[in-house]
Amino acid sequence: MIRARQFILSFILLLGMTSLAAANSGRLVADLSKSNIAITSGFHGTDLLLFGAVDGAVGDDILVVISGPPTDIAQRRKANRAGIWINVETNIWQKAPSLYTILATSPINKIASPETLASLAIGTNNIGLEIAAKTPVAGQSKPTAIEFIAALQANMASIDLWPDQNGNVTLTENALFRAEVKLPPNILSGTYNVRVLQFRNGVAISEDITNLYIKKGGLSAGIYNFAHNYSALYGIFAILFAVAAGWLAAVAFRRK
Amino acid sequence: MYIYLPIAEISMHIGIIIGLGGGVGFLSGLFGVGGGFLMTPLLIFFGIPPAVAVATEANQIVASSVSGVLAHMRRDNVDFKMGGILLLGGVIGSSLGVVLFTTLREMGQIDLVIKLSYVVFLGIIGFLMLLESVRTILHTRRPGGRKTKLHQHNWLHGLPLKMRFRRSKLYISALLPLAIGAFVGVLAAIMGVGGGFIMVPAMIYLLGMPTSVVVGTSLFQIIFVTANVTFLQSVQTQTVDFMLAGLLLFGAVIGAQFGTRASALLRGEQLRGLLALMVLAVCIKLGFDLALRPDDLFSVELLK
Repeated sequence: MIRARQFILSFILLLGMTSLAAANSGRLVADLSKSNIAITSGFHGTDLLLFGAVDGAVGDDILVVISGPPTDIAQRRKANRAGIWINVETNIWQKAPSLYTILATSPINKIASPETLASLAIGTNNIGLEIAAKTPVAGQSKPTAIEFIAALQANMASIDLWPDQNGNVTLTENALFRAEVKLPPNILSGTYNVRVLQFRNGVAISEDITNLYIKKGGLSAGIYNFAHNYSALYGIFAILFAVAAGWLAAVAFRRK
Repeated sequence: MYIYLPIAEISMHIGIIIGLGGGVGFLSGLFGVGGGFLMTPLLIFFGIPPAVAVATEANQIVASSVSGVLAHMRRDNVDFKMGGILLLGGVIGSSLGVVLFTTLREMGQIDLVIKLSYVVFLGIIGFLMLLESVRTILHTRRPGGRKTKLHQHNWLHGLPLKMRFRRSKLYISALLPLAIGAFVGVLAAIMGVGGGFIMVPAMIYLLGMPTSVVVGTSLFQIIFVTANVTFLQSVQTQTVDFMLAGLLLFGAVIGAQFGTRASALLRGEQLRGLLALMVLAVCIKLGFDLALRPDDLFSVELLK
């Protein structure tokens, strides 16, 4: 009896361990050279290093997805009206990532099939972007949803917020990986999600998630907070400053 | 060296900002204009969001008008009574303008309205100035000028609420400067300008004020109109970038001194002709922007 019970117990334990190993097979740990970044007055984008260790094999790929704090994005389309080009349509894309960038050891289409990437929600096509409000204008041949999302991707790429595939990950000895991450100067403050995945034969076998915190700091944060928290006082201060500066200039350069 | 502008939320080279301030300051010193009509389109061109450009420029114009008006006060060239009526209208107009601006911005049409206002008003003013200066240049070459009355009387002088403006030697209805002030106030709020380029001709041709007090009085009321815009935009939209305004101001103060010195090298009508050409150039550039098919029909804006 006791033997049998022990056998069942150890069987359950073994089962649990193998399923854990399957979920974690390869095992991956990632970290950032800095996880807190301040947008100060001298801020002009930043570079940081993503690095980590992986239990890998020959032919494995590492893919990194960095996704910025969600924001609403207004997309506008121009058309010619009475000889001038004006915005005729506005789409609000809700809770879209303010930054979306992928880094990988190989071109992304060589790492996994489009279906696999879609099931893992990798790529701006696969993150469930939705238009919240739409104001179509009558009598206009309307572009399709595919054209809208393609235009959104192109616009966001042109302002460096959704670059196509931003740089490479190097994997050394199938064990250590590193990637130089460049963040543009126009990023929003907030929490950034950094997702690192290990692929083997087109299948994701392990994953690690880490966060990156970007905050306004120094004088820049001071002015921003002043303007937003004490708007009226800020306005008065801006006026008084201008009056003082104007008066000083007049006195300093008064013609003799 | 790049500097991160806290309200515009973009990073810009400090040399570009001070250079812009200096360049526009030089031209404003040279021509005796505020320069808002140059600065605001330039800021937008360099990637400052239009809302921030307009509000921040209002803040900067407060400073340049203060330093300008002090010089005119010393020469007793400010009609405070007239300025007071104009600024009353201006405060009402610019408050309406800020509301209009916010609404248009939410509708996604602010860029269009800014550009259209520039094309229309710079076009009209530039054309009239050019005509006038060409006429003057031709006149001075061929001696013998035309006779001019002090000012003409028309139906505008029949309006009620007549007031005496001693410094301007006028006895006219207060409604007229009030309406002009309000109209220019709306434009100032939308275009990110002081509005001197419309106010000055309106004072001369519509009100019939003597030219000696026109510039000083215009500057005097611009201080209050742009201060009002600065305050309202700060409260409503938080788009006044104090850092940007300060740096522009620094450049502009220095530039204006060189401009004023350089203006002594040219004759009045030559200066006005050049100014007219510059006004028309801005007008034509913005006109082309509206008329030519943009490279990309789509644009995006992050609505934080």
